[in-house]
Amino acid sequence: MSPEIEQFLSGMKKTIEEVVMPNLTDRFAQEQAGIVAATLGFLGTIQDKVFHYELFENQEYKRILQDVLTILDADAANAEAGTNETLGVVVEKVNKHFQHDNPADQTAFRPYLFIRGSNENMKEFLCEFIQLQPEMPVQVRQDFEALLKPFFKSIEIRERSWVKGLGFDPAAEQQADIADLLYENEYLRVANINN
Amino acid sequence: MNNYTTTQTNRTSPSAAWIADIRSRYPVERVVDEMFTRKLYKRKETAGQNLDFTRLHKPLVEFLKNETGQTDIEVLNLQRLSGGASKEQFTFDLVWQGPSGARETRKLMVRMDPKESIVETYRLRECQVLKAAWGEVPVPEVLWIDPEGGQLGQPALIADFLEGTVQPEVGEKMSGVGMYFNPQLRAALGDQFVKILADIHAIDWRKKDLTTLDVPEPNSKTAVQTALGLWERAWNEDTLSAHPVMERAALWLKENMPVVETPVLVHGDYRSGNFMYSDDLKINAIFDWELAYLGDYHDDLAWASLTIFGGPDEEGNLLASSLMSVEEFLTKYEHYSGNQVDPARLFYYQILSFYKISVIGAATSIRAASSRKTHLDAMMNFAGGIGYLGISELNRLLDNAK
Repeated sequence: MSPEIEQFLSGMKKTIEEVVMPNLTDRFAQEQAGIVAATLGFLGTIQDKVFHYELFENQEYKRILQDVLTILDADAANAEAGTNETLGVVVEKVNKHFQHDNPADQTAFRPYLFIRGSNENMKEFLCEFIQLQPEMPVQVRQDFEALLKPFFKSIEIRERSWVKGLGFDPAAEQQADIADLLYENEYLRVANINN
Repeated sequence: MNNYTTTQTNRTSPSAAWIADIRSRYPVERVVDEMFTRKLYKRKETAGQNLDFTRLHKPLVEFLKNETGQTDIEVLNLQRLSGGASKEQFTFDLVWQGPSGARETRKLMVRMDPKESIVETYRLRECQVLKAAWGEVPVPEVLWIDPEGGQLGQPALIADFLEGTVQPEVGEKMSGVGMYFNPQLRAALGDQFVKILADIHAIDWRKKDLTTLDVPEPNSKTAVQTALGLWERAWNEDTLSAHPVMERAALWLKENMPVVETPVLVHGDYRSGNFMYSDDLKINAIFDWELAYLGDYHDDLAWASLTIFGGPDEEGNLLASSLMSVEEFLTKYEHYSGNQVDPARLFYYQILSFYKISVIGAATSIRAASSRKTHLDAMMNFAGGIGYLGISELNRLLDNAK
């Protein structure tokens, strides 16, 4: 199908910048038209990566949640009382979700909205675990924090790269391109490419 | 927009039970609770923001007739102002019988809530704070207020319009983020910028009419609890997507709250973009007092020196509010205020500041745009970039936190 999305976007951007904006006399309208043009430019840089961004995050959240469950399982096995009740509720939610979006499934063949929805759920589960850290035994909390630290770092780098085209980052030149973070040898950087 | 989770559905269509639950979870000031609760109850209203501002003319005339007691007033040249982000702003010429008794024309501005704002604040509170600051530091004079929007359609205040420059550059930066002042401007404005901040913190707020502000107990954590509560509640009411780094930050902020010994009037949004200067390079107005509260002066210091708001000098060094190095800013502040800067507290408020800008950029702005209830939908989506930049910086700081 043609034209490609990038061509639609760049055509609109050019029209706004070269036809609409020079003929606007109202400052507010000029300001808003400028933001629309800049937004179209930004969309042009990311539109072909949106699906893989979500797929990448899908794999990342499945991996981290599985690792969290492993830590909590090990603690429950060691503790007489078993897993804290509140933590147990979140564990159950994660296990139930993994029946819906199984880590062993071929997620790459799922529709975008399925993957995005799954990611939103998994983000909420991880956030619930983070909120519950004060209820974790000291050693479990330490293990949890150690597990999460590199995960937080990967979010920091990835999201900053994603938004650098919006022009707010004073250190934009030091940020990696999102394509370099997502792909290696023209493949998505996920542990199991079949997924 | 898509709601993928039950929580997201609750945020988009909040039930009374969900609103009650969220109110119970986050300690906020009395007035903040009222504003946020009202926002949630109105969220399900489907009408978007009406961008035809000519609708304002008739109610504005009626409002001013009521307020002035004059029947022969005229409202001319009603125009929308560019710039700004959280509120709609208009200018107009009021032809009336002024305080001297003579018929005169006075240029005024209207600052009005959109249907949903990136920061939900109370116009009466902003009005009280502006009046408290009047005569102490340069601010526009507030003349009238419609605090509930009963007459103008939306809550609004009307103040003097002051002439001056906010952004010296050609090609404006959104909301003043990352501005550039040349060396001559920096030399002229830097000291004034710091001195005025010190003057704000020295205002004897106990002698002012500030009934819409909660007064925190001295030597307690109340002020920071409610300051954090506001932003944590805003995040949890508005975000379209959960975020692990934001939860990490919220937990750290709750577990490391410092005591506020002597609460001062905190401006809450003190930075480049929120002051104006005249042709003779005098700062003649400080704007955007809607986030003012009684708390720790380190909050304003951290916010004003936030890297996101800074711009570079000619060598590429990032400057606090684009005016001076952070070290110079803090040294000057200690000199003018007599307050000591505690690095540990400054660090706490830097994290709170990045949390706050992340809430505004990555949650409340995007929520307002998704509801189509602002006058700046395109800009609010675009501002998401500031939010994710803030989250990135937040994580870097948290990695260095004890």
